[in-house]
Amino acid sequence: MKATTDQSLTPGLQLQLYLLTGLVLLPHVPHLPLVVSLFLFAALGWRLASLRLPRLQPGRWLLALVTFLGVLLIYTQHQTLLGRDAGVSLLSAMLVLKTLEVRKRRDLTVTVFIAYFVIVTHFLYNQSFLLLIYLLTILIGHTSLLLTIHRVTPARHFYEPYRRTFWICLQALPIALILFVLFPRLTQPLWHVGVDAGARTGLSERVSPGTISQLIQSSEVAFRVSFKDKVPPRESRYWRALVMWDTDGYSWFTRKEPPLGAADQALIPGDEPIAYRVFLEPHHQRWLYALDLPASRTSNATLTADFLLRASVPVSQPKQYEALSYIDSHIQSSPPSQLRRALQLGNNVTPRQRALVESWQAGGTDAQTIVRIALAYFHEQPFVYTLNPPTYPNNPVEQFLFESREGFCEHYASAFTQLMRVAGIPARMVIGYQGGEYNRLGDYYTIRNYDAHAWSEVWIEQQGWVRVDPTAAVAPERVRSAIQPGLGSIGEPIRFVLSEQGWLGSALGNVAMLLDAAEVNWRMWVLGYSRDQQFSLMREFGLDFLFGGGWTAITLGLVFGVLTLIGLRLLKQGEMKTPPVVRCYRLFCQRMAAIGLARTAHEGPLDFSARSCRQRPDLATQIQEITRLYIGLRYGNRPTPSQWRAFSDRVKRFRPRRVSRAG
Amino acid sequence: MASLSLPARLLRFRRHARNDGHGGVVIRPRSLYIIPTRQGLLLALVLGLMLAGSINYGSNLGHLITFLLAGVWLSTILHTWRNLLGISLRAAQVTPVFAGQDAVFQVRISNHSRLARFGLTLRHKRFRGESTDLPAAETRLLHLSLPTQHRGLLRLPEITLQTIYPLGLFRAWSYAELDLCCLVYPQPATTGTPPVEANYTASEDGDRGVGADDFVGLRGYRLGDSPRHIDWKAFARQRGLLSKQFGGDRTERIELDWDLLPPVDTEQRLSLLCRFVLQAEGETRSYSLRIPGVVIEPGQGEQHKQRCLAALALYGGTA
Repeated sequence: MKATTDQSLTPGLQLQLYLLTGLVLLPHVPHLPLVVSLFLFAALGWRLASLRLPRLQPGRWLLALVTFLGVLLIYTQHQTLLGRDAGVSLLSAMLVLKTLEVRKRRDLTVTVFIAYFVIVTHFLYNQSFLLLIYLLTILIGHTSLLLTIHRVTPARHFYEPYRRTFWICLQALPIALILFVLFPRLTQPLWHVGVDAGARTGLSERVSPGTISQLIQSSEVAFRVSFKDKVPPRESRYWRALVMWDTDGYSWFTRKEPPLGAADQALIPGDEPIAYRVFLEPHHQRWLYALDLPASRTSNATLTADFLLRASVPVSQPKQYEALSYIDSHIQSSPPSQLRRALQLGNNVTPRQRALVESWQAGGTDAQTIVRIALAYFHEQPFVYTLNPPTYPNNPVEQFLFESREGFCEHYASAFTQLMRVAGIPARMVIGYQGGEYNRLGDYYTIRNYDAHAWSEVWIEQQGWVRVDPTAAVAPERVRSAIQPGLGSIGEPIRFVLSEQGWLGSALGNVAMLLDAAEVNWRMWVLGYSRDQQFSLMREFGLDFLFGGGWTAITLGLVFGVLTLIGLRLLKQGEMKTPPVVRCYRLFCQRMAAIGLARTAHEGPLDFSARSCRQRPDLATQIQEITRLYIGLRYGNRPTPSQWRAFSDRVKRFRPRRVSRAG
Repeated sequence: MASLSLPARLLRFRRHARNDGHGGVVIRPRSLYIIPTRQGLLLALVLGLMLAGSINYGSNLGHLITFLLAGVWLSTILHTWRNLLGISLRAAQVTPVFAGQDAVFQVRISNHSRLARFGLTLRHKRFRGESTDLPAAETRLLHLSLPTQHRGLLRLPEITLQTIYPLGLFRAWSYAELDLCCLVYPQPATTGTPPVEANYTASEDGDRGVGADDFVGLRGYRLGDSPRHIDWKAFARQRGLLSKQFGGDRTERIELDWDLLPPVDTEQRLSLLCRFVLQAEGETRSYSLRIPGVVIEPGQGEQHKQRCLAALALYGGTA
């Protein structure tokens, strides 16, 4: 019978399936181990070859063997079969191996379902808009294969199934958006296997000479900030991330996390607070960036005793938070144990350093004076601020201060902090970012990795912890304008971005800004759409009373509403259009029926007219005229508009009345 | 009705496609059933897994794709439903068959809407009929083969028109009853010879009988011979008037008589008679049929055969 034969697939359809399979696997190639990629595409190539030469089609035993080898290969490559990467390898292998046994419609269906799953796994690696478009196209391709196998006759044009599928997907889009907006998001993963942190450049918890100057090479976005009303000047925009208390003379770090909270009264507010919202890129760390110095009033983040913002879990998704900061403020109090900790030194302090400090102390013994003299020293001595300082393998501070005098911010900050400690002034190093580039189109500031910065804080009696930036003493431009990244070789002074640009430069700059503004919205509202945003969106629409049980009800209600609309549209689409002439004639028939002359189903217009005229001779002229016009319009050769007008006029004016029996 | 079994009682609640007033049935919303297919359930499972993965890895785009497919899943309910809605079925025709052969019922299927329909399949229980696509405002003929076992009238049972278009995730179907009967002849017996000898009676006039069936020869014209029997061609060749002579009783006349058959049961008798009818017809011989209640005069030809076979098929029926 026909029904059994149409279970098989045409070679053309199979070819489409295998090509789509290749396309769906393609973006995974960079993440998969090379051997696994080779295995996948070799298997796919085999399948394509067997389409031409059916004797190459693997039998069941060979297929089982290939499957076993594939799993073994994946296991040896990943050392596990669990977790993200191994899972993706396994799923991809499953997809390819399934294509090797595609014979019937059912096999194709299952292959398409696996492909759907593979599509979703791509977003574990890359969440760009372009990838989404690419994958949506492939998804439509796969779905149209499903559509094709359920028709009986092949489509007249190859694009027809694609077009139909596109419409089905378009109709499903409102449902997808409703669910996307309203579906509750979790703040914690369901299980932890394989939720591995992606490698990303950014600040680290240990700063050695060269750490930050390496970071400067990257123009990756760290975060973006939009200020509520007042924007602090560029030289005040110090973004605080980490405080380094401890040193081994080579690098700086913090052994013990500072206690959370309890920093409230320690802050002396300067002027008015500055309110802003930070759009943070995931960096898989718990620290958040805040303008120096943040107040404790901050949504969904806690403040440490060092005035650092901390998230409760590592940030693995784009995150938004609001914060409040007081610039020109100091941390007033610090427990004595902390002050002692801020004097700790590595074992590589040389007599030369002590002599230098002693020479400063000659000018005055109070902390403020010493700081001033030290900054003057950096300013007056021939120090060079460079992106590519030489490496200082033995004693970085010593070599930097007395040998090459070429360094980047971390060299200045670490040398300064160490010298302060030698002088008996409690000091610590702070790591974060400085500055930020303004995006006119989005009215926000973008802070990139090349804005990374290191500075010092010294303890001054009566004032508290005061920020001192020795880099500013050497290269005041650093805090006033951004560094041009990716330029300069070892020892070459840094070039700063100039404000004057040609028209081409400014046009390109505008395009870049537009793209960045689009990206920030994409990242924040789509990729970083979170529980908080869900709540604030609902609050904005006054729907926050639904946080209880009404949530599910409204979601289902909306989905049902969309489905109803789709259903109505489908019904409407299928309706036969009645020609206006027929509709008009029906009106005439209705009026005839109203006076007791109903047209029967078998009666043609002429028969009906003849019968009516016999029964109502008084209406005969009108009925005959209408019927004549109707037949002319409906069956005539070339009806004219005037004919149509005459017909519709006559029908409209036709208002017959029932004859009373008595009369 | 208390004697009906539970499934049978449930069946009475089954809704059938409504009569459309033109001798067919039309599928209306209330007579349309829809449930997910196995593939539909599988996709639901896959979507659940995709959602779990997206939640776990906090992938919003994963959510988006999953929800898009969920939307597709939901809206194909409507597409499948619409694909069947408003289709009308009408009994077309069916050719008689012998018991044991497949009865091929033909059903006319029409689409009175502007929406093209796809993958419509006719079936009865596990017997799948043909599938067809149906462009807007078109009518096609679908065949449904059903096996036959017994002679008699086989009424087209309750049929199902189903579709899983567009994506095979849902199956929509509707039950319909059409007034179409297939005449099932008895299965011809495989062995047996007709009881011809028993009933052969030679003509008393010998070969030169006055029958009217077979041409025997020519003889000189005698007064009173029918002008229709004159061999006009011979006359034209100036051979004089000759009359054609016909004989009839020399050829065998087969009388297929119920009572002349060996004493076997009714169905076997009918099978035997069926075989004899076919044999006689194959040898282009004249035959008559006599079964209780029915007598069919001698004759020959397709129509005669069908009459005889129909009588055999319907024997003992509650006509």
